Amino acid sequence: MAMPPMLEIVNLQKSFGNREILKGISFKVYKGEMLGLIGPSGCGKSTILKLICDLLTPDGGEVIRWSDEIGLVFQGSALLNSYTVRENLALALNQRKLKKSDENKIIDDKLKLVGLAGYADAYPSQLSGGQQKRTSFARAIVNDPKIILYDEPTTGLDPVMSTVIEDYMLELSGQLDAASIVVTHQYSTWTRCASRILLMHAGKAVWEGSAEEAVVTENPYMKQFAHATREGPMLSGLL
Amino acid sequence: MPLFFVEGQVAVGVELIGQVVSMWFKTMGYIIRGDFDKKEAWRQSYMIGVKSFTVVAITALCTGFAMSLQISRELVLFGADTAIGGVVSLALVREIGPITAGVMVAGRVGSSVAAELATMVITEQIDALKVMRVDPIRFLVVPRYIAGLTMTLVLSVYAMAIGLLAGIYIASIAANLPAATFLDSVHQTILDRDFVTHFIKSEINATIIVMFSCAIGLHTRGGAEDVGIATTRTIVWTMTLIFVFNYIVTSLTYAPR
Repeated sequence: MAMPPMLEIVNLQKSFGNREILKGISFKVYKGEMLGLIGPSGCGKSTILKLICDLLTPDGGEVIRWSDEIGLVFQGSALLNSYTVRENLALALNQRKLKKSDENKIIDDKLKLVGLAGYADAYPSQLSGGQQKRTSFARAIVNDPKIILYDEPTTGLDPVMSTVIEDYMLELSGQLDAASIVVTHQYSTWTRCASRILLMHAGKAVWEGSAEEAVVTENPYMKQFAHATREGPMLSGLL
Repeated sequence: MPLFFVEGQVAVGVELIGQVVSMWFKTMGYIIRGDFDKKEAWRQSYMIGVKSFTVVAITALCTGFAMSLQISRELVLFGADTAIGGVVSLALVREIGPITAGVMVAGRVGSSVAAELATMVITEQIDALKVMRVDPIRFLVVPRYIAGLTMTLVLSVYAMAIGLLAGIYIASIAANLPAATFLDSVHQTILDRDFVTHFIKSEINATIIVMFSCAIGLHTRGGAEDVGIATTRTIVWTMTLIFVFNYIVTSLTYAPR
């Protein structure tokens, strides 16, 4: 019997004013899998993540989740500046009404997991960009979510820190056995982390396959995106 | 074209008032249930109240000096110098105290709340709260509203007291009026209802400042430029409404019968 998906997107549509961002996209994500959602800027990748988290309401279609435990790693970390690292993580545990000692233990464990043990009392402004990103990871996984969403997790980081973050993503994915989606257009991130790739263009899925297939396929969209060339269908109407 | 502009402005204004009313009801729901972060309310009380003491003191002192100087000069001419305390205190309790505190809190706190919340929206901190199932109204608006209600009243009373001290000082210099005579006149003039009006005005000011700054901040979209626009918008709305509601309350409580 085939394994049921943890997350299913069915014919999802979303517009902002007159601008149609998603034109009926469908896909499934399974337990233990990391789906790389790639595509040019403005094609609707981050919108999908916001629809999955109920931050936006779809105009049409459906998001079917087999778990409400969702962790989202934001592009800019989105940590609360006036709160310490511990307080930022404690907010995510707010709903569980835990004893302070239990709460602190969970937070310390998660911080250790992302290599930030000893930083619990620091404020976000005292951390480097990479440390803020890792704090954001710890916050996203503090409730052991079954679905983890990464919104451009390596954008703006230097190549070495990008590799560190990608390693954490792979490690967390293995440990939590969650269904993950990583939205990115950073080549190293989707080739290293994603077990399956979905290429989007103008609000639709135009190619799907593995990272290995993505770099050798003759699909004009994927070929242009993977090789970062001007020749291909992606720029039509834009230049 | 000007008509479209006016229609657009009216629509934006009506939308904002709708957001404020909806937010106020939700906020009151949390307060009535006692469901709010007390530690954060304390922290906000410090930010809103304690940090405003100096600026409110300077403003109230200068207003008290100027007002007392004008009133002393006129009343001495008519030989009514014993009424100086009563007239100064009436102005301070009924109008100057709440207005001074309200305007200073709107300028210092309202703008910073709007900027802070707008920045939180733009940097996705509000989205992060929603993903963690933390209601931004419970987490951000309720503590600020409780702090605003408490501290605006404290600051109004404080402004009134500072203004009175300034009045006593100026009356003693300009009209050679002893402090005891000044205070006796205050005692005979001020009624309980003046303090009730003072209380009502202060709480209305707090509601205007916190609700409008939070609603404008939380509904900001865009980038850095929009944070600036949100701040300016907050100042314009809160300052205007403080004066409008001040007049409405005065007209309802002191209109000639």
